[in-house]
Amino acid sequence: MWQKKLAFVFPPFASEYPDDPFSNLEGFDDCFRKYLSRAAEFADPSLNKFSIPSSTFLEDELETQYISYIQACSLVSWFRGKGIIPAYSSGYSMGIYAALFQAEVISFLDGLVLIRQAFKEIRKVVGNKKFGMCSIIGLNKNDIEQLIEKQDLNLAIAIQNSVCSFSVSGPAKDITRLTESALQEGALSARLLNVTVPYHSSFLKDTASTFTEFVSQMQFRHPRMPIVSLIDQEILLEDNTLKVEVVRNLFTPLNWYETQLYLQELGVNRFVECGSGKGIVKNARFIEGEAVSMTANAFSASPETQLGYSA
Amino acid sequence: MALITENTRKEVTEIVYKFFADECEVDLKDLNDSTNIIKDIDGDSLMFLELIEIFKKKYTLDIELKTIGKYAVKHPVQTIGQLIDMQMLIIEHENKLLELDH
Repeated sequence: MWQKKLAFVFPPFASEYPDDPFSNLEGFDDCFRKYLSRAAEFADPSLNKFSIPSSTFLEDELETQYISYIQACSLVSWFRGKGIIPAYSSGYSMGIYAALFQAEVISFLDGLVLIRQAFKEIRKVVGNKKFGMCSIIGLNKNDIEQLIEKQDLNLAIAIQNSVCSFSVSGPAKDITRLTESALQEGALSARLLNVTVPYHSSFLKDTASTFTEFVSQMQFRHPRMPIVSLIDQEILLEDNTLKVEVVRNLFTPLNWYETQLYLQELGVNRFVECGSGKGIVKNARFIEGEAVSMTANAFSASPETQLGYSA
Repeated sequence: MALITENTRKEVTEIVYKFFADECEVDLKDLNDSTNIIKDIDGDSLMFLELIEIFKKKYTLDIELKTIGKYAVKHPVQTIGQLIDMQMLIIEHENKLLELDH
């Protein structure tokens, strides 16, 4: 059953694991264990140690990315089992790999391969340099750009989530200075993110050539549903444009705010955050429009009813 | 500036308590003015922002987020009681909130 007004959004890697985030989804745990076991066999045996509730792997960026991807793919599978297929798929930040899996562009294992390779390319570029990211809530884009300029900081806005919520990337010491000055400027919150990589910024531009070469050798299929770019809100329908998107996703700023607004223009009135957190759902309250955003766990045994559609 | 009546604090208190009970999925009876919003009920800054927006609409307030942020740096809010106090000041003083420190 294709849901014309439904979009799945795949979040970036988790910064925490809430206790039992999928407790309402009957049968989900078996599904997750199946995918986890395949991933452990294929990519990293230690993944088998993952359990909830726990803070397993939160200090390891690659393993956290694997877990978030495995959870997202398990949710895709669970929803498919219930006959729920969204009209659009969208991957927020490193959620792009799960969005590709949802649209059947890549296999589950190829998603793991892409995550591992992207991480390797990033590490090569970052080397021993200390980078980071921070989130700032309560200032607008102009305020943040002025703070960066005034202090001559080497930073870039990496993600816009709403008119007053942003993530910024750059060298760790400049990120720290920005968080301090943002609070003085009147930000309601300015905090460091638990990452050591300046995602979605030109600091990672040098990943382009080798990652392009790697991705070009992978098999991408045409998507079964449109994937919407967070970079420029283009509808991506071709395997080749998706390959380009996967590469530039690493070093190009994203705009989730414009993406959600655009999806709403296309008629989407339900967004489901396919991950263990609820960051995208919470953020949606600050985006105009009547669309409803919900976590995957907001579904019960009768998800069709929750979605407000008839079968 | 918004007109503060005897009922305003009661109204604000009810809204704040119900908001946190719903958002943090806790029982109303488990909340009190000393409840620490982050440590005890896992609240966050987006919730604070949402409450501000609720009160801005409800009382048609003229106040910039930055003004509230600057005030909050000097008067950090940790508990529900402190949050209610700050909301009352925001409603009463709006964009002149920072003048309270002069």
